[in-house]
Amino acid sequence: MRNTACLLSLLLCAVLLGTSLAAHADSYEAALPPELSSAKRLCDYAPCTEVLPGATRFSERMGAPPYVEGYRGDGASARLVGYVMLSTDITDTPAYSGKPVVTLIGMDTAGRFTGVRILKHSEPILLLGIPESALIDFNRQYIGKFVGDNIEIGTSRPDEGVIGLDAITGATVTVVAQNQVMMTSGTAVAQQVGILEATPRPQARFADPAGTPDWDGLVADGAVQRLLVRRRAVGLEDDGEPFIELWFGALDHPRIGRAILGEHGYRSLHRQLGETDHAIFVIRSGGAESFKGSGFVRGGIFDRVQVRQGRDTFTFRDLDYQNLYDLKAAGAPAYRESAIFIIRGKGIFSNAYPWRLVFLGNRVDRATGERTFANFDREYWLPEAYLEGGRPVVERPDPTWLKIWKERAPAILGFVALLLATAAVYASRDRLVRRSTHKNKWPVNGFKYAIWVLSIGFVGFGLLAQPSITQVLTWFHSLLFQWQWELFLSDPFIFLFWVFIIVTVFVWGRGLFCGWLCPFGSLSELLFKLGRALGLKHLQRTPPKALHDRLKWLKYWIFFGLLAVSMIDMGLAEKLAEVEPFKTTFLIGLFERSWPYALFAASLLGLSIFVERPFCKYLCPLGAALAMPTTFRWFGLRRKQECDSCKACAKGCGSLAIDRDGRIDPRECLLCMDCMVLYYDDHGCPPLAQERRRRTRDGCDLTPIGADGYYIPIRPVPADGSRR
Amino acid sequence: MVDPRMPSDPVVPSYAEGGSLARRLAAELWDHLWPWSRDGFRRHKALQAAGMALGLAASTMWVIAALGHLAAGAVIGAWFGWSVFEVLVRLGAKPYVKEGPWWGRRYRRAGPMDMLCYVGFKNLLIGASLFLLLKAAGMVVV
Repeated sequence: MRNTACLLSLLLCAVLLGTSLAAHADSYEAALPPELSSAKRLCDYAPCTEVLPGATRFSERMGAPPYVEGYRGDGASARLVGYVMLSTDITDTPAYSGKPVVTLIGMDTAGRFTGVRILKHSEPILLLGIPESALIDFNRQYIGKFVGDNIEIGTSRPDEGVIGLDAITGATVTVVAQNQVMMTSGTAVAQQVGILEATPRPQARFADPAGTPDWDGLVADGAVQRLLVRRRAVGLEDDGEPFIELWFGALDHPRIGRAILGEHGYRSLHRQLGETDHAIFVIRSGGAESFKGSGFVRGGIFDRVQVRQGRDTFTFRDLDYQNLYDLKAAGAPAYRESAIFIIRGKGIFSNAYPWRLVFLGNRVDRATGERTFANFDREYWLPEAYLEGGRPVVERPDPTWLKIWKERAPAILGFVALLLATAAVYASRDRLVRRSTHKNKWPVNGFKYAIWVLSIGFVGFGLLAQPSITQVLTWFHSLLFQWQWELFLSDPFIFLFWVFIIVTVFVWGRGLFCGWLCPFGSLSELLFKLGRALGLKHLQRTPPKALHDRLKWLKYWIFFGLLAVSMIDMGLAEKLAEVEPFKTTFLIGLFERSWPYALFAASLLGLSIFVERPFCKYLCPLGAALAMPTTFRWFGLRRKQECDSCKACAKGCGSLAIDRDGRIDPRECLLCMDCMVLYYDDHGCPPLAQERRRRTRDGCDLTPIGADGYYIPIRPVPADGSRR
Repeated sequence: MVDPRMPSDPVVPSYAEGGSLARRLAAELWDHLWPWSRDGFRRHKALQAAGMALGLAASTMWVIAALGHLAAGAVIGAWFGWSVFEVLVRLGAKPYVKEGPWWGRRYRRAGPMDMLCYVGFKNLLIGASLFLLLKAAGMVVV
């Protein structure tokens, strides 16, 4: 019969795969021409005219980071109409999938966005859940907006100068990342072409602590920093050597300048610097890659290193370069390449504030051989003691995940309160079930139904926090390949839910989540209860135990199948994970989804009216994944010896988790507490009822019921009154 | 008579009764890491199981390797194959799992699903730790 289960799961997979392929997504993992990221004529490989309407001719890539100029007309009458940029030339900001959304962006000469086109994305939610058109609609919101505006996801706040964009429900992380991509790319080009004026920064006043430090002293002070790029970070096999190891520091500061260049060298350099110029040194102590770039030509720019301070980028031309022949600091590492770069700061760059040395490279996807832009950076900030009055106060922007947590703080608090309240209610189960009887289970069910309603309304439809097997697969992959905390923290509700699930699965088993808190599970059982309340009880059916015992394995086969497929093709596993109707029910909505998915979800919910939790019992891969560690839960439900022959609990077990010997299968039990109510009910539990009748008949007291589920024994007191 | 208070019949491994805490912890650690027992060696079916499991492991390894993740794939595939083998070995040699709190001394007879859960979970923890250790040391490339 397990073969039948296996066949059924395969059939289900085939149906889902079929419907998945029918739902076509244009730019999901689209194959882009390799020249797109490297060719000088970007617009030969990208639809530039779509994002910069009116342009008939485009230049070669220019600038650092690169962009393209778009012209209308030819020859002398040609007029510059705007700029086109490829997002991955400028930033490698990852979206929810951990990969960047490759975006072609157009901007006119006034700095207003003219068009946005997604060339490639790897967002699973946009593959099947939310239509790709939602992201296209989201991007349309940028058209006409000025690149220098303070554009954020969420509601507009005119008094704070914030322009809000409507997010895509269920894809918050994707749009937050996309906003970052749009603004970073637009700003980088707008600054280069003079649309955005950089803000001047107050210049540093150097303090000069006594003495000349050696190399170790400089490193210990933080006056020299190290930027290390490992080979695996760019997709190459590790051979023990770094891809590149750079040491760098500011040479303007007399203490550092004298230590690195010597007194004469420092004075000589200082004489050559303009009033607003700054100098840094860079040496390469490891790796075979040149930081100057093999393609560097006289008159050109160094395209592998740049300095960034806030939103300002400083690149280096040949005139900004000087040879660095010798490091005077004792103990300096051996190096293979060295340079002094002059930052033409123009009052914008300041050593009083933190800046970053950026190494620009390419990452090779080892599976496909595809190259993507990647940058690696390291922050530099002169030590406190090197600045008169110390470091100024700098307000750093919050990371994206933290912004999301702050914005949703009230909802997060509400959600945490719900989780803690549920755990507290379940931890008090002994007291609650003792107050219940088989005829009145409200002391337990009152809490349970309230939690179900909150779970469906607040957690499911409100917060869209429905845990899914895709998260298990993503975590499994992240653990093996690349763990990114930001990825998991970017959805606070799912993150907190999983912390709760992991803890409670080991303490009590999966039943607390599956039976009490899972939005879909709650909806499913609530429909069953409603069906009963509405007089459909005569139509409600419980599968025969023998059939249930065979069908229950189906969910494990589905889970193992998804896990195996995910090892080969994560995208396909995401498609097959549509066996979960969660996206359709909560994230997108039954009426918003294409009919095969809507029909599937509606059928399961419809079936739930007549059969208790059919999806949870037989199909849910998440339930299967959680059932496995439930084998080792610490605290199970109570039983008594007579349960081996008494069938009272088994008959009323909605989960069909009690076998013919009266044993509870913890993997199947959803902790409904019905058996625990009976356990203490001296009118419902047959052995207890028998004892009650015997005592009543014999005129004995009905003592309290102990934790073992029996009346506390009455011990005869000796006639002389002495205690034994 | 069946004891319904446990999901399967209680079993008492030799090390579970008596002994100091340190001795018991050492014995448990050994039990987690060494799936064989003298009883188990007397059975022949383990040999067949080994062949089957190794074949499965090799297939997995090749599929993943073909996708360009040779080094990591080899590790994952080999570990997966070994885990399948270990389930079968333990079912013959040490067919029990712990019941209730991990610090307790209650054990029960393991069915195939119990053993699959135990080995799967244990080897996921061991495998993830070793994998991350090797990755950090640069000995495996992802």
